[in-house]
Amino acid sequence: MSPAKTTSNTEDYLRMFRQMVRIRAFEENANQLYLSAKMPGLTHMYSGQEAVAVGICEALTPSDKITSTHRGHGHCVAKGAAFREMFCELLGKEEGYCRGKGGSMHIADQSNGNLGANAIVGGSMGIATGSALRAKMQGSDDVTVCFFGDGATAQGLMYEVMNMAALWTLPVIYACENNGYSEYTRTDEIAAGDILARAQAFGIEAHRVDGQDVLAVNKLATDLVERCRKGEGPFFLELTTYRYHGHHVGDINREYYRPKDEEAHWKSERDPITILQDWLVAEGIASKDELDAVQKDIRAEAAAAVEYALAAPYPDVAEVDMHVFTDIPHATEARI
Amino acid sequence: MREITLSAAVNEALAEEMRRDDRVFILGEDVAEAGTPFKVLSGLVEEFGTARVIDTPIAEPGFMGVAVGAAMTGMRPVVDVMFGDFLFLIMDQLCNQAAKTHYMSGGKLNVPLVVRTNLGATRRSAAQHSQSLHALVAHIPGLKVAMPSSAYEAKGLMKSAIRDDNPVVIFEDKLMYQDKAPVPEEEYLIPLGEAQVLREGSDVTLIGTSSMVQVCQQAAEVLAAEGISAEVIDPRSIVPLDEATLLASARKTSRAIVVDEGHQSFGVTAEIASRLNEKAFYHLDAPVLRLGAMDVPVPFSPALEDLTVPTPDLVAEKARLLCAGELIHAA
Amino acid sequence: MPLDVIMPALGMAQDSGVIVAWHKRPGDEVAEGDVLFEVETDKATMEVEAAGAGFLADVTAAEGQDVPVGEVIARIADVAGAVPAPSVEDVEPAPPGAPEEPQIQETPEEPDAPGAVPDGHRVIMPVLGMAQDSGLLVVWLVEPGAKVAADDPLFEVETDKSTMEVPAGADGYLAALLAEPGDEVPTGETIAILTEAPVAEPMRRGAAAAPVPAVHADAPAAPEPAPEPAAAIAKSADAEFPRPRAAPVVDGRILASPKARRLALEAGIDLAVIARSGTRPPIHAADVEGFLTRRGSGGATRVLTAEVSSDTFDAFAAWAATEAGLTDPAALLAGFAAAALGRETAIVAVERGPTIASYAVTGRALSEVTRTDAAVPDLILRDVRDLGLAQVALGAAAHPVISLGTSGGRIVLTLECADPAMTAPDCLHLLSELAGRLREPLRHLL
Repeated sequence: MSPAKTTSNTEDYLRMFRQMVRIRAFEENANQLYLSAKMPGLTHMYSGQEAVAVGICEALTPSDKITSTHRGHGHCVAKGAAFREMFCELLGKEEGYCRGKGGSMHIADQSNGNLGANAIVGGSMGIATGSALRAKMQGSDDVTVCFFGDGATAQGLMYEVMNMAALWTLPVIYACENNGYSEYTRTDEIAAGDILARAQAFGIEAHRVDGQDVLAVNKLATDLVERCRKGEGPFFLELTTYRYHGHHVGDINREYYRPKDEEAHWKSERDPITILQDWLVAEGIASKDELDAVQKDIRAEAAAAVEYALAAPYPDVAEVDMHVFTDIPHATEARI
Repeated sequence: MREITLSAAVNEALAEEMRRDDRVFILGEDVAEAGTPFKVLSGLVEEFGTARVIDTPIAEPGFMGVAVGAAMTGMRPVVDVMFGDFLFLIMDQLCNQAAKTHYMSGGKLNVPLVVRTNLGATRRSAAQHSQSLHALVAHIPGLKVAMPSSAYEAKGLMKSAIRDDNPVVIFEDKLMYQDKAPVPEEEYLIPLGEAQVLREGSDVTLIGTSSMVQVCQQAAEVLAAEGISAEVIDPRSIVPLDEATLLASARKTSRAIVVDEGHQSFGVTAEIASRLNEKAFYHLDAPVLRLGAMDVPVPFSPALEDLTVPTPDLVAEKARLLCAGELIHAA
Repeated sequence: MPLDVIMPALGMAQDSGVIVAWHKRPGDEVAEGDVLFEVETDKATMEVEAAGAGFLADVTAAEGQDVPVGEVIARIADVAGAVPAPSVEDVEPAPPGAPEEPQIQETPEEPDAPGAVPDGHRVIMPVLGMAQDSGLLVVWLVEPGAKVAADDPLFEVETDKSTMEVPAGADGYLAALLAEPGDEVPTGETIAILTEAPVAEPMRRGAAAAPVPAVHADAPAAPEPAPEPAAAIAKSADAEFPRPRAAPVVDGRILASPKARRLALEAGIDLAVIARSGTRPPIHAADVEGFLTRRGSGGATRVLTAEVSSDTFDAFAAWAATEAGLTDPAALLAGFAAAALGRETAIVAVERGPTIASYAVTGRALSEVTRTDAAVPDLILRDVRDLGLAQVALGAAAHPVISLGTSGGRIVLTLECADPAMTAPDCLHLLSELAGRLREPLRHLL
């Protein structure tokens, strides 16, 4: 934890703390909804990786774009989404961000520049690059961040679009969240060589950063975002991090690919929220009691949003064939 | 009226729309100075520059994905997929991303893009450059699919597709690029989802797509000389499909043949025939027939390739049997 | 060897090119690689080089001319001076890529030598039933050209009673098939030829194509009509739709198109009536419309009456019950009625008050009349004698109806018929035959 304490930054630090706690609180509730069979389908927990989403998204404005992944709740919260609409989406309710048509794997607050969570591993890399092409063509200074996991680095699409982004100097940042596991397989079993070198091969400037240190992530992201705005993109980031849960909420018995003491170590020694909390207290920015109160308020807010979403109505059945096309109100009407 | 080639008609449509709307741009392989191998885009880079006529690396999934992202954030890309066969390469970006984004976002995100590609065998190009894969994308909800049958349709449909807020895939028949047809100087649009009755008839309905429209018209000529009155209909787009016009014709003539250059099994012919059977059943005096491309990879040898595509003779032969009431499957 | 100079295919979708300029004149000496001429395609102008050395000759395309791709436009001769200009026939076919010239060898419509029916053992449509004058060829069991032994089953034939396999009757090769599955072939007619030696191209055609005289025809010396050219078996690659075959009734259903069914239903016409009127199923819309037109123009319902004494039939019924065990007088009436219709087999419904009993008549013998569940009768007998009514005419139905009334010890027969399939003589025949049988029951037995 390096940045010096200044009054202008104090609010930024506290907001990053709040945002990380919000992600954690959201995921705890999502996990409980799954375990108590109140949530349809399943979901992929972001807990443990909060500093990545928050550190980067705090460097962005609402007009900057992101693309997200199947493990996307954290990006969604960090880009400014509200609990109610998120829980409604998680439960397939009409008030959800996607009117219940996306669910956990496609949750996104589009109004804040989130171009969607993608359930195809690596599927959003073209979209992020295209968004950056649009920014350049329009002369807009917004930046697009493409979140993806270490598993997605095996997809060919990544290399096709990094090639184009480098050729056309597009304002895009490829943010690889390396949590060490590609679904149920250790990443070092599926990734040859150095991940950074893959971007460097295209002449793309690449950085590795501790993904548990939100201030370090934020500092680097702020720097790269500004450089992107000046036309110096693209950039590549590898953020070393860790997911506390399995690949998804149902991936409980996972010792065959990941030891329990490794998980315990990351939770006790490398937790991004604890690290920032300790620093805030040590720097005298906030007391432990104040931060506990923040956590309590956020958890209460999350609990209330869950209650609201559980009681909220499902979409009308007439919605089933709406939104297939923009200009055909009900796509299957003529065929019934 | 002046006559121009299908190639020139597409070129005009793109130029007009790019002048009208600066969000419209073209990207794909060899689209700029080369103007594509078929020279359809020649001259556009001179007018609009390389910033709007963008040569990409040979990376179909990559540039298709880039187009999806640009479309989602406010541009109107026209993606050039050099051969329809390369659709297989862009399937994830087209079908999992472009087609589903509007729906999965609850209607909040749009993907207004056009994929320009082609279809058609008998160019002696063998199995990886000759396929007609429109049924493949028509199967995916969220994608519109247009199939121009002449220069006139090619221009009007292209302009509508570019203005459409949905992803639209346009299949041009690569053998028709030099075919001329009357195209007005003044601007016009052809809406997606409106079939055209090209020839009225009373005995049998011939429904053809793309170049099969010509095949149907030639068959209708032959049949007319024999006293069989064939109605010829071009759906012009298969998604959306102008079912009402097709049904009205089938009900009128009580016989129908659907002709399309996609493989016959599980294809466009099956879909249309099935809808006619479901909705015009009690008006049918004969089974609805399908004539698609033979269910084989397209062979190279001319001696073989020409066997795989429906011909006017074949259409006429089937129409005769239908009208004579002699088409009975073995009981 | 002179070299042809050909309009090249330069674009991807180009089928012709315009000669912009010749760079050599006829008679000029050219070296390989020299620019011969300039050609303009849809998008570009390019120079075309000579493919070999020699002297330019026989230039057939002028500047400004639009020439189809693949066409010979000049030659490069070995020696200076004229080379004979190629005639039209000598022009090379368009190379692959020219879409309007499919390079397919079609099976000739009219081969040079029309195939004659080969000589050999003639296989005929056999007589298999008692009163059979034709057989329906169901299927060939041997491929054309194949070798067969005398005992090998050669084909399947359907008569009125059954389907059976017929052996070849001689050893040989199946050289000609002269009938197709679905053909109704008169007995005695030749339907196949077996030859001693194998044949390269077996013949195949339908029975209607050119009948080969029956074996028992007594004019063997008469010149045979010139047979039609044989259609090559492999001509149609489309095996999906076999040639039309008669499929009158499948599983008791009369085949008809959906539209025909709807039209018949709307008009209240039973499809069986249309089928009996001479239309061979499947019935199409035009058949129904034609039937309705005929009925419309044919006009009125026919009503005929007859009277016979009831004594003779009552006595006959009593005799049949005691002597032959035929205890159901209605069945006897049904048997008489079917015979009066002129049918070996028929369905006759006998109405008596609210009860209707249907009888299947399968032969002339009265013991061959059995109860049936068949829904569609050929004829209805409406017995109103128990009601004491003499003559009833309740209006035409879809089937001929004969009412049996009673008046002063006599049976009054009233035939009503709106069926256009039955002509006036048919109606007269029906009623007079039935009346005759009731008058003299023994006549039926004879």
